Amino acid sequence: MTPEQMQIVQFTRADFVAILPEIILAAAGCLILLIEAFVPNLKRWFSTIALAGIGGALYALVQAPYGTTFGGRFETSPLTLLIGLFLGACAALAVLVAKPYLERAGEEKGEFYALLLWGHLGVSLMTRGLDLLLVFIGLETLSLSFYVLAAFFRGVEASSEAGLKYFLTGAFGSAFTLYGVVLLFGAAGTSRLEALARPGLGSSPAVAFGLLLLFVGFAFKMSLAPFHAWAPDVYQGMPTPAVLYLSVAPKGASVIVLYRVFAEVFSTGLPDKFRTAIAAIAIVSMTLGNVVALAQRDIKRLLAYSGIAHMGYVTIALVVFGRDALAAVIVYFFAYLVSNAGAFAAVSALYRDETKAHPVAMLAGDGRRTPFAAGVLALCLFSLAGIPATAGFIGKFFLFKAALQSGLYTLALIGIANSLVSVGYYLKVVYILYMRDPVDDEPPPALAPADRLALALCAIGIFAIGIFPGTLWRLARHAAETLPLGP
Amino acid sequence: MGSLFTEHLLTVVVFLPALGAALILLFPRSLEKEAKVFALLVAIADCLISLPLWTRFDLAQKGFQFREQVDWIPALGISYSLGIDGISLLLVLLTTILTPIALLFSLTHVEKEIKGYSIAFLLLETGMLGSLVALDLALFYVFWEVMLVPMYFIIGIWGGPRRIYAAMKFFIFTMAGSLLMFLAILFIAIRHQAATGVWSFALEDLYRLSFSGRVETLLFAAFALAFAIKVPVFPLHTWLPDAHTEAPTAGSIILAGVLLKLGVYGYLRFALPLFPDAAIRYAPWLGALGIVGVIYGAFVAYPQHDMKRLVAYSSVSHLGLVVMGVGAFTTISLQGSILQMINHGLSTGALFLLVGVLYERTHTREISAYGGIASVVPVTTALFVIATLSSIGLPGLNGFVGEFLILVGTWSSPHRWWAVAAATGVILSAIYMLWLVQRVFWNPFRNEQNRSLRDIRPSEFVAAAILVVLMVWIGVRPNDVLDRIRGSVESLRETVVSKQIANRAP
Repeated sequence: MTPEQMQIVQFTRADFVAILPEIILAAAGCLILLIEAFVPNLKRWFSTIALAGIGGALYALVQAPYGTTFGGRFETSPLTLLIGLFLGACAALAVLVAKPYLERAGEEKGEFYALLLWGHLGVSLMTRGLDLLLVFIGLETLSLSFYVLAAFFRGVEASSEAGLKYFLTGAFGSAFTLYGVVLLFGAAGTSRLEALARPGLGSSPAVAFGLLLLFVGFAFKMSLAPFHAWAPDVYQGMPTPAVLYLSVAPKGASVIVLYRVFAEVFSTGLPDKFRTAIAAIAIVSMTLGNVVALAQRDIKRLLAYSGIAHMGYVTIALVVFGRDALAAVIVYFFAYLVSNAGAFAAVSALYRDETKAHPVAMLAGDGRRTPFAAGVLALCLFSLAGIPATAGFIGKFFLFKAALQSGLYTLALIGIANSLVSVGYYLKVVYILYMRDPVDDEPPPALAPADRLALALCAIGIFAIGIFPGTLWRLARHAAETLPLGP
Repeated sequence: MGSLFTEHLLTVVVFLPALGAALILLFPRSLEKEAKVFALLVAIADCLISLPLWTRFDLAQKGFQFREQVDWIPALGISYSLGIDGISLLLVLLTTILTPIALLFSLTHVEKEIKGYSIAFLLLETGMLGSLVALDLALFYVFWEVMLVPMYFIIGIWGGPRRIYAAMKFFIFTMAGSLLMFLAILFIAIRHQAATGVWSFALEDLYRLSFSGRVETLLFAAFALAFAIKVPVFPLHTWLPDAHTEAPTAGSIILAGVLLKLGVYGYLRFALPLFPDAAIRYAPWLGALGIVGVIYGAFVAYPQHDMKRLVAYSSVSHLGLVVMGVGAFTTISLQGSILQMINHGLSTGALFLLVGVLYERTHTREISAYGGIASVVPVTTALFVIATLSSIGLPGLNGFVGEFLILVGTWSSPHRWWAVAAATGVILSAIYMLWLVQRVFWNPFRNEQNRSLRDIRPSEFVAAAILVVLMVWIGVRPNDVLDRIRGSVESLRETVVSKQIANRAP
């Protein structure tokens, strides 16, 4: 055996400490399944166990010393720590919302939590892996878990459809990613990321094509146009708490992976062809997402298209490519987390029949009937629209600052014009919440304490980031220094 | 506590309403009525707390006063920086006076969703005051945009039949302008960083920058557009009549009284001193658009059937005059414009309030539904006539002083003919306003039901009377106000002129 292979076989204490967060997540998922099989009476503790797992994993992540393990294939750094917090917060919100949601749907099954935790594990691996294979394994762990989650309501047609669609497009996207990985492996001779930094590799056509395929694969996960078509259908059929997670965490992780890979190959800045291609995708995503969202009547589809547009904004930061831009992306994703997760938490709490469609019109009058959930939903929508004093504004602030600073005036102008378009549909929902009379006499379900907590946390997060963004920016800027990037 | 009211007076004035709004949020639903009274008390308290700004304002000092500064986002040099000069002092007081008046009027007239209504008004007050005292561009932008949200709800929930359309139009129009300004603000700060190596969004730091011709023109355009939409300058005014017609009375009072002024204020505080060359180069356009606004507003106001729409178009006309005064850019015309903003806030606020008084009794604003009611509602009539006379510039009342200064100041500027054109607008305003009074209060009775109209209530009377007292006060002793503006206008002109000279030097 070569020394390199030896390193994989030897499993040191440091390796164990570094991967402990993922081990905890996997174990918590297994524990839930075992309890369901053998002590079904303890069903109501599932969400607590899942939360404990997420919390324990976060604790282990914070405790893990910085550095690389598994022979330089696995990273613990300020970047992975901050992203870990982001992912953990997202998973915790999803679990909080899931309990009352599953109770209402009468489907309190352990596998929901187990799959969510394992999907979360996969996303975490994606962001920490320094080896393309590890990243790919993370991506597949996430995907497999969420294919099943999409089809969670077995008897419901929309849910089965969502499962199938997600599986097909997901497999398609994974194939792109894998093909890209293979090409990069072929060019570099190893799947380790640091090998991509070898001088001269950036100009090789195989590497360029590999990177392009890798980008396309992750663009599927980020639901960037024109690889977005699955998102609205999948969001519509998937249980809302799972959508809450899927619409935020994997997208953030995908951007981090892309940044990581690109940073290895091109530390000084992306070549012009790449910039043009990515900028085009950003423009198409923003514009298509926002314009199509205007015509949506289902709140989950509307939020899906809004997500497509937001990923378009984020992609601007990929065009800019630099430390400040990466920090801006991180801040943007924290803002997107509290706003988008809050919006889905509210959607989960405001609709009675989980297995049916979620027409926006049914929210009519909820501003009066369930003021708290409706108020948080409105706040989240204002934040998504980027109104100041909310987190969404801070996200856009740093993003557009980065764009202007590197002279991307046209892109910034298109982004701003798109923000204005987005106001149209966000306000439409607010208008229906507050300015229309209810369409049905039956009010939305009473708010469960867990829903209330999740909504309150999101609202606090929106104002905390919106009014005191200084600390988050500092942390993000520090985290961004992990990658070998220019300023 | 002592230092709170001396060293942090502006913070207290700005955030007291927001604090009140947060407390109202905690009120149980059974205490809705009390929420309304509580909101009024908060607004009155804020007004009283803001009065020391007037008495302790140092006339000799030319820069900003009551300064406060705390780092906000240190990495980008963004700070929580507040301060006022004479211009913002007057607008701050106008805001703290008009808000309780609007809430006092609402006391008897708003029954729906009272809690939300009170919260929206108090948040709106914080937004308006914040934009008036912020001396950091990022901070200003936050307050500037925050104002939109409560106003959207005020029009959209408590407005008239076409309120949804009006609220949406208001929001989208204003946002469209602001977003471009947002990019321009970022761009300026980036330029400052590139030039000095230090990040700063502080107004006084950014004043020192100068830009090349084309860049300056574009930046100026972005700022000017945002402010012109807010004013609104012809032809960007189309949102205003809709918003005014549909807004509830109290919303119209605040909209006409304060929100529109923020456009002119923003122009004076930001667009003009940041981009003096472009501002002076395009001043003729500004003046011309102002004049078009004066005449167009008057001609459109004249045939209106709806009293509120008529007053709304009269606002377009009056603000056109203010804009022209700014465009002429002489010390006198600027003073006149600033004074006229206050005057317009008082007189139009009173007119909207009294139209609201009539509307609450008859539920119509059609002019043809009235006639001959002067003998039935003598007090309302008297107040309405005074407000009208103030609005059309009768000597002895405030409107005269402002209009006179604008016209005289413009006459002494290079654009002498502007004054001539604008003077016709002054005459036209007398025609349509007096004709309105005649058709509503005099003329023969057209509607028998109006014989039993109830005259003004005590709370409404107090609200209107405060405005009338202020109109007379400014009309008789205009120097009390002008003294406070003069220094600020002079230093504004110095900033602009010195920067222009500096730009030409190399």
